[in-house]
Amino acid sequence: MNMARVQSPLVPTQNIVPRNYAEQSAELRVLKDEIVGHVQHKEQWVQKGILETVVNTLQNSTPSRSRSNGKETANYATTSGGLSDDELVRLLCLQILASISCGGPSFLSPLHAVGVVPVTLSYISPNENPPQVVLTALRIIRNIAEATSAAPPGSDDLDVLADALFKREHVGSLYSILVQASADLMVQEQKRLVSALIARLCKEDTHQNPLTDGGILDALATILASFIVARGEVIPEAEKLAQKDGLADMIPAPALRGASLALTLEAISAIILNSRFRCCMFLYSPAILALLPLIEFTPVSKEPRASWSPDVPGIGGASRKSFGAMDYLLPLIPTSHLKSSSSQLTQFPSTGLSRNVFSSRRSQTYKFTGLDPTSEDSDVADHPESPVVPWLIYVVRSTSGFERVAAASVLTSLFKAGLTSPEREQALACLVVPLLCDLIKEHQKDVPASVQQATFIESDMERDWAILEKTPEVLARLVGASECLQISAHECGIIKTTAKLLKDAYEPMTSPLIPKPWTPNPDRNMSSAESSAACRLGPPGQVPLYAHKIKMRYSALTLVAGMGMLRDDYRKEAASQDLVPFIVESLAARPGKPQSPKEKAASAKEGRDRAGVSAYGHNPNRVIIAACNALRCLGRAVSVLRTTFLDHDVWQPVNKLMKHPNSVVQIQACTVVINLLATSSPMVEPLLGAGISKVLCEQAHSLNPGLRLNSMWALKHLVLGFENSQKKQLLEELEPGWLVQLISDDSSEEDTLHTRQRRSTDADDDEDMDAEASDEEESHSWVWSGMNNNPRRMNSTRMQKAEARLTALREADLNPARKARADATSIQEQALGFIQNFIVNPDKPSDQTELVDFLFSELGENRLFGILADKLKVRVVGAYGRRYSKTRDTVVLYPQAKIIMHITYILVHIAASIPRHRQLVIAQTELLKLLGGHFTSSSVEVRRALCHLFANLSCLEDDDDRQHCKQRALELEKLGVLSKLEGLERDDTDLDVRERAKAVVAQFKAPTIV
Amino acid sequence: MSNWQPYQQGHLDPDFAFREHIFAQFRQAAQRQSQAGPMNSSTSTATAKHAFEARLRDTKTPKNDINALILDYLTMEGYPGAAANFSKEANLAPQQEDPSIKTRQQIQHAIHSGDIETAITALNALDPDILDKNPELHFSLLRLQLVELIRQCNGGDIAPALDFATQQVAPRASMNEQFRTDLERAMSLLFFDHNTKLSPELQDLLSSDLRRRTATKVNEAVLVRQDQRREAAIRALVRMRAWAESSARSSKKKDLPSDIDIGLSDAVEFQELTETNGHEPMITT
Repeated sequence: MNMARVQSPLVPTQNIVPRNYAEQSAELRVLKDEIVGHVQHKEQWVQKGILETVVNTLQNSTPSRSRSNGKETANYATTSGGLSDDELVRLLCLQILASISCGGPSFLSPLHAVGVVPVTLSYISPNENPPQVVLTALRIIRNIAEATSAAPPGSDDLDVLADALFKREHVGSLYSILVQASADLMVQEQKRLVSALIARLCKEDTHQNPLTDGGILDALATILASFIVARGEVIPEAEKLAQKDGLADMIPAPALRGASLALTLEAISAIILNSRFRCCMFLYSPAILALLPLIEFTPVSKEPRASWSPDVPGIGGASRKSFGAMDYLLPLIPTSHLKSSSSQLTQFPSTGLSRNVFSSRRSQTYKFTGLDPTSEDSDVADHPESPVVPWLIYVVRSTSGFERVAAASVLTSLFKAGLTSPEREQALACLVVPLLCDLIKEHQKDVPASVQQATFIESDMERDWAILEKTPEVLARLVGASECLQISAHECGIIKTTAKLLKDAYEPMTSPLIPKPWTPNPDRNMSSAESSAACRLGPPGQVPLYAHKIKMRYSALTLVAGMGMLRDDYRKEAASQDLVPFIVESLAARPGKPQSPKEKAASAKEGRDRAGVSAYGHNPNRVIIAACNALRCLGRAVSVLRTTFLDHDVWQPVNKLMKHPNSVVQIQACTVVINLLATSSPMVEPLLGAGISKVLCEQAHSLNPGLRLNSMWALKHLVLGFENSQKKQLLEELEPGWLVQLISDDSSEEDTLHTRQRRSTDADDDEDMDAEASDEEESHSWVWSGMNNNPRRMNSTRMQKAEARLTALREADLNPARKARADATSIQEQALGFIQNFIVNPDKPSDQTELVDFLFSELGENRLFGILADKLKVRVVGAYGRRYSKTRDTVVLYPQAKIIMHITYILVHIAASIPRHRQLVIAQTELLKLLGGHFTSSSVEVRRALCHLFANLSCLEDDDDRQHCKQRALELEKLGVLSKLEGLERDDTDLDVRERAKAVVAQFKAPTIV
Repeated sequence: MSNWQPYQQGHLDPDFAFREHIFAQFRQAAQRQSQAGPMNSSTSTATAKHAFEARLRDTKTPKNDINALILDYLTMEGYPGAAANFSKEANLAPQQEDPSIKTRQQIQHAIHSGDIETAITALNALDPDILDKNPELHFSLLRLQLVELIRQCNGGDIAPALDFATQQVAPRASMNEQFRTDLERAMSLLFFDHNTKLSPELQDLLSSDLRRRTATKVNEAVLVRQDQRREAAIRALVRMRAWAESSARSSKKKDLPSDIDIGLSDAVEFQELTETNGHEPMITT
């Protein structure tokens, strides 16, 4: 009757005597019954060394199987019933491990000591193991993932776990699990567990790409498709089309009992995050293509939906072309006058300061894709939006809770990847953003006191927390780059909500650690120093509430950043919510009490500074990074910079972070510094005092392109406000040779890239990428598995189009040369900007002359002009490009507008000094000829800059200059500049450019002294 | 009926709602019958004339759907034999084969007969994850086991009960305020003669209702594990009907008969439903 009476039947010895399986299972069963649910029993058994025994028993019961024979494959899918004796032993061993791993973070170190992760992972293949075994093995991994996220700071090994799980051989097993057709509930739970693991662990390219290539994304899309079928939302006539294209076999049965829509969406969202290629892979999954094709749709009867018809006056026929069947499930959205964000961004005035939004947005996304915006636009025009987008909007509207968030998350990725039609932005603003805002508000509840120290959270509350953690992140990602969506979120009062989220996350806690349970024998402490690692328990973990709060800090900070991305008034509003002290504390690994400067001063006086620090816990790096991001966005508002930031001495913690051991944190800290060093900032002085210029110059020499980029950017800001002597000193510190290197990186770029690439793949243990880098032929032959060698599919134009697009996007996404080139270009842009700001000194023209001369002497004038001319040429990259590209042997690179602009402004400033310099510029015939080719540039900035330049060149200094001036005009006329300027004066679309051109032409014809 | 309380998580006990509703119907039916016969017929004709009733009569419910609903109920609540017979009789494909249905029945039986250890072992054999991931359920079972032990030692040797409480229940209970209170209450049973008049809380612990509630919780937990659906579909339907009626009544348009019959006014039929609905028949074993 009494379980406590059961005495240890298993003697934990290293080498268990092989007995028959029946005996073993009887003992294991008793052991299982004793430990399930009882943490203390688990502890005692682990301290007795049970883990090694169990793992040994497990492995001894496993016959060394020949993996090559696939005969066993079919066995398990059908016979889920009886287990053989050895299988039963295995199952029981795994169940015991699962139960122990469920005990919490303190069991992690003994479990890892017996290598529980690799051991367990050898049992997850459904082709080699019975379903119960697979299920239990997956549960162990889940338990370990859960324990790891609750483990105390410093042992954040989720990435290690992800690396182990997403290895190629296991990806194959995961795939097999997901494609099982069985309706067995156990199989369904396996699928749910796999989805949940992907959603939790898959965060980086090195995991996302193998999962995509391994077919997991397609398998998940197929499960999603089964929900489309179950919900009855297949597009009319899709089946007919699918027949034609050979996709009919991809139409799945309706979703089975036990399948989870939310988890499936979440897993998909985790895989496609931050990549256009993977987003497209999802859209072009065969099952999705089969169910949601692009078909012209005419509603059977117009009558009941008369009000939905696009012909209704006032709605405007503009959106008619995008009216697919799926759109009839959504309410009509009136087209708004708000332009989409991208068009607004290009109109953003760009000054020599170049603190403009567009480039910063690029820098933020530079790691995602190397595509330049122009080619993206044409891409959108070629490929109409997939009906998946309206379907997802419909799902967001028709579901609730976590399904809603997960659907919105997938939708957001598609939106960010530019795979939605431009009209869709308005629909998102009206239909999705308010729902997400409401979701946050609904789940923002006070935490009851009983939960403070609770080690177990009821599933309802757990779900609420998960929603609350995830939604702000999704919302931030969604609204980040779109003004229209930000306005919508703002109207929902999201800034105030965010402030509350962040403040709640800093409510002090008594203790973040899991309390020890009461024990009947307190003095029996088995763990002594000499016992082996497998018997020693680790430190206790954190209570769930604490982990929740840390996640909320991250989410709330991300949302602050998202809302502060574009508009000054939102930044000011956020700052007025007293958020800054909380953000500042989030910069510290060990935060103190967030307080206003006044309170801080008072508490410092009383000497109770930093008392009870542990009440605020420990901020992991991701919180610190999110805080940097928030500060960067708020810091774009000058008024915030000059008031709130100054009051809170923001520069101090940021400066400290510049020397953080983690390079990602350094990069993010540097982005804050960029804004703090703007000329209007009052924090330049203290930062200089703290030696920021030295740090930045060091970082400009870093191997990490992100650091090079941001430090050059910061230096560019810094140099603008300097006196001549300071400027010269700074250039010396940066080393003129290095600056030249940075701006002339092109020729050497491909080589350095390759050495760099090798190095990084060597360090990287991801086999997939390794194989690709080492085997040239293999990289050529990426084949879209969607074709599946099906002749019908291969003949279908729809499928061919999809394949072509995927191949191109894959190239764009995964080609490291392309990525490195994008990095190099952004760095060049900043370095050229640095030169531009270096020589400018609007107040004292004489100083400017001095600076130009200094620059020439340091860099060499011919070399400088030579490099600048090189930048303006069209480059053809062939040698290495071929390796990665299947379709094109060479890549033609046109100079980018930003680069042209910076070069032009450098010349503008040189030409603005004395006639001698002007003569120097005019002598650069080749350079001017190249520039003349850009009068037709699509960028207004470039055209305006060119007008500036030629205005300066045609400028008449004094009477002595008259002769030279005439000569210059003649020179320019020879180059055909005059006629082009006249063309601008006549035809340019921009009024400002027309006016400037007019002035220049007049100056040419009748020079007057200015 | 008074001892049916919403269970601890703060949800409405579905059993409670369901039965409450049916009993209300029952009371009304009984009231009608106890009233004078001719009056009864006159009221029924009056209500029958109501537009709503007419619409109700015109609505045809497919028999198959109703049968499926009944089969679902039998399967979910753990009556494998009845479910098998019913599906044969109603010519339905048996609902998805549920390997756990037998085990669930065994577990229920063990709990109802006070053999908690067997129930725990069976539950662990079915799926050890259930108790590991659901401390509340585990504690409920342990407490019930403790109560059973105390019941057994009534007046005799209390050592087994004390020992069990110390070794098994107390560590689990120490982590949670509510568990602690519950454990203390259960322990106080040791000090009283169970045949005397006890406080209602203690009486409650000794009543067979505790077994029944715990058994229901276990059944639901197993179902949630497998299916994410914890109760028979008919329960949701009944709740939906109650909600629909009350919201229809609170709306402005009160075009409804004064009371809407659930369709079980026939007393004989009704008796049967209450029989099969509860677990009472099983307890008698």
